[in-house]
Amino acid sequence: MLKRILERFSRLRPTTDRPKKTRQSRVWRYVYWGPTVVVLGQYFYNLKTVSGRSMQPTLNPDSSLRKDIALFDRFAIHTLQRFQREDIVTLKSPENPERTLVKRIIALPGDLVKTLPPYKEAEVVVPTGHVWIEGDEPFRSDDSNRFGPVSASLIDSRMVCVIWPLSRFGLPQQSTTLQAVSPGDHPSQRAARAEFERYRWRQSRVVRSTDF
Amino acid sequence: MAAGDMVRSRAFVWMLERLVRLREPGAAKQAARNVALRSFKVFNFFCAIHLFTDYVGRASTMEGPSMLPTLANEGEIVIEDRLTYRLWPNSFTRGDLVILKSPIDSNRVICKRIIGLPGDTICVDPTGEKAPSTEHVVIPKGHIWISGDNSAYSRDSREYGPVPMALVRGRLYARVWPPSTATIFRSNARRLE
Repeated sequence: MLKRILERFSRLRPTTDRPKKTRQSRVWRYVYWGPTVVVLGQYFYNLKTVSGRSMQPTLNPDSSLRKDIALFDRFAIHTLQRFQREDIVTLKSPENPERTLVKRIIALPGDLVKTLPPYKEAEVVVPTGHVWIEGDEPFRSDDSNRFGPVSASLIDSRMVCVIWPLSRFGLPQQSTTLQAVSPGDHPSQRAARAEFERYRWRQSRVVRSTDF
Repeated sequence: MAAGDMVRSRAFVWMLERLVRLREPGAAKQAARNVALRSFKVFNFFCAIHLFTDYVGRASTMEGPSMLPTLANEGEIVIEDRLTYRLWPNSFTRGDLVILKSPIDSNRVICKRIIGLPGDTICVDPTGEKAPSTEHVVIPKGHIWISGDNSAYSRDSREYGPVPMALVRGRLYARVWPPSTATIFRSNARRLE
């Protein structure tokens, strides 16, 4: 018995006496590294499919059943605790702990937000440790306009880029690149102008805490 | 130890043998691969431990006055149970001691007692210190009302309102240190008619 164990673990044996690999040992070779894979996914990057229309037209822009796959960065949120306005983030739903939402951060603690209809007050100051989140499609979104500012502790990860479909692969549009859109009539240019309009509209509804 | 003893010692001979073997063709490369593989395995082992403490349970220390007299200010070790709420998300009970991420500071982890569940009507602060004692709230869906046992030194739902259940990490299962006060915590809520 001991001899067999020693044989198994002795490093410098010739390759010919290796025990033949059974199917079980081949599966085990992959399962064995499971903890590393899970931890890397938990603390660094992971892929998720996005379902639902609340982030149209940024994510899932057409009404087909196809779902976008995006890359999410958990390191920025969990370890660095770094998030800002305009970031697209995933968060645990405050109403149902089993659901995860994908929304855009509109305002940070201390900011004054002009709310949209379902919310009962016209303006609200975001309290400490909370953020105001909204979907890009205001009519199909369960967001802060319904349940108010949410705790920043619920934020789980930040979206880095869309992976699938490949036609829209890439980083979400940045406000700086949007400003430089040329005034053409190509659909992509019109889409970019609309995106910039939405960006300006979001900006107009927030008074940043540093500004007052 | 004399130098001769060292040279003759088994460990030294073993090491020398291994060094000599390294000069065989391809052996140095193989040794480097083994070192790399072994360090990956050590990393993997720590990852496995981490996942266990994250998903099943762990021992942890507690500090802070907010749960006096149930938990002391410092120096106690408790066992956290992270599995129950994961497996049965509806098993929240009034009176449970829960561990959750602070809703106002995501760096902090706090321990409080569940006072109210979704749908309950709660008097915000019966003493009238932090809110008028007539103020009542109905706890919304997916939220709980939490409170420290030492209400004079506790920041809890009286200040920040109902807390989303998604912030809860686990419940406190038992206290194991100091041994004289070791207990298994059970929900001690009584229904008054």
